[in-house]
Amino acid sequence: MKYILWLSLLLTASYSCLAKDIMIRLEVIDPYLEMHTGPGDGYPIIYTVEQGEMIDLLTRRPDWYEIKSSTGRIGWVKSSQIARTIQPTGEPVDLPSVSYGDYLEDSLSLGFNVGQFTGGELKGSQTFSFTSEQRWLSWFGTELEVGKYYDSEVRGRYYGLNLLFEPYSDWVVSPVIIVGTGNMKTTVQPKLIPLSIEDSGYYQYGIGGNFYLGRNFVIRAGYREYTVSTEQDDERLDRWHIGFNAFF
Amino acid sequence: MAHWFQRVLLGASLATFTLVTATEAQAEQVTTIDSIEQLDNELFELGVTTGIINIQDFGSEFVTGINAGFIASEDIFMQLNYVFADAGLSSFEKSQGALFSGDDRKFQHFDFLVGYNLYQGEQFFSGTDAQLSSLYLVAGIGDTDFGGEESFTYTVGIGYQIGLSRTYNLKFDYRDYIYDSSLLLEDESTHNAQFSVSLNVLF
Repeated sequence: MKYILWLSLLLTASYSCLAKDIMIRLEVIDPYLEMHTGPGDGYPIIYTVEQGEMIDLLTRRPDWYEIKSSTGRIGWVKSSQIARTIQPTGEPVDLPSVSYGDYLEDSLSLGFNVGQFTGGELKGSQTFSFTSEQRWLSWFGTELEVGKYYDSEVRGRYYGLNLLFEPYSDWVVSPVIIVGTGNMKTTVQPKLIPLSIEDSGYYQYGIGGNFYLGRNFVIRAGYREYTVSTEQDDERLDRWHIGFNAFF
Repeated sequence: MAHWFQRVLLGASLATFTLVTATEAQAEQVTTIDSIEQLDNELFELGVTTGIINIQDFGSEFVTGINAGFIASEDIFMQLNYVFADAGLSSFEKSQGALFSGDDRKFQHFDFLVGYNLYQGEQFFSGTDAQLSSLYLVAGIGDTDFGGEESFTYTVGIGYQIGLSRTYNLKFDYRDYIYDSSLLLEDESTHNAQFSVSLNVLF
């Protein structure tokens, strides 16, 4: 009686472990699939799965899937090969594979950019920003931007909220329009003549372009014009920037 | 009493067993696009870093830090790093006394890097046991806070990664932090080399 009890408890435990993994079973329709030891073209091929065999998908990484063959071999297969499989129902598998901006809806991105002010009283200052963007629609997102600027005698920081419009997000290179507002603060002033930008609000607009290097990896470059409200007249600045963004 | 208890337990565990088997069978049937999205994906990395940094003009110091990574594609990844070290005295300061003190002697650096896997392959340590490995390049920008100065910093580096297991990676990195400093000389471009080891977990 006790043994049965323990056995059933053990079975329950092991099955609940198994049940956590969602497995997807697919049938190979290409002549063969190549199984690599790791998720990269450089990792050696250790096994091939033949046409008609069933495979289970276990894990995914960008461009790669970890699979288990019907013979129990585990390895990594390129997503372009997984795309050439069918479901048990006979329908072709529909992978979230290589496509550009349109899939971005509802996704979050993190990125950074580097740039320089090319006009106004901060001319010559180098900048960098960290950005976090939430894409609400495929063509519209909001972006939080935190950055710093540096010159030999000037240090400062800025933060802001931007609206992004990217109407042709399905293009490999697609234009972006940015409008935003924020705050700029100069923390270290030049010794002789202080800047008029001390702790000032600004608004900005800019144009730029996204270049989709992969499904979720983007190079973004652009040019922005700032209007900073200071105690005297409004100060105008402009800045170019280039950086990377990754969506997940 | 004991038998009664055992029976209840047996009944309960058998019930869960059948239930779980049923859901298990269901789970295997799901092959829609939604379920591919639900597949466990390993895109993020977290790690701790330790090593030695050579702060230009100030000698070599023990450095510690943390890093977070995101795997963007097969070849490209992004990494956020934060490291800090306590700087010793420069040779000038050894004879003339410290130029600055307290919090300013703490070397703090953060950066955002983009990395490219140059060569992926396998490393054999013992017999036929293969560990996945990769040689990569990184480059990026960041900020260095040292000696009361905050400096715009370029970071370039090369690294080698060895997979300890399915999700743990050991990374050996050589990095150069390049920034302009006016601590000892006016607008001197400094190179601060760092050699470090990181233990990272993928999730």
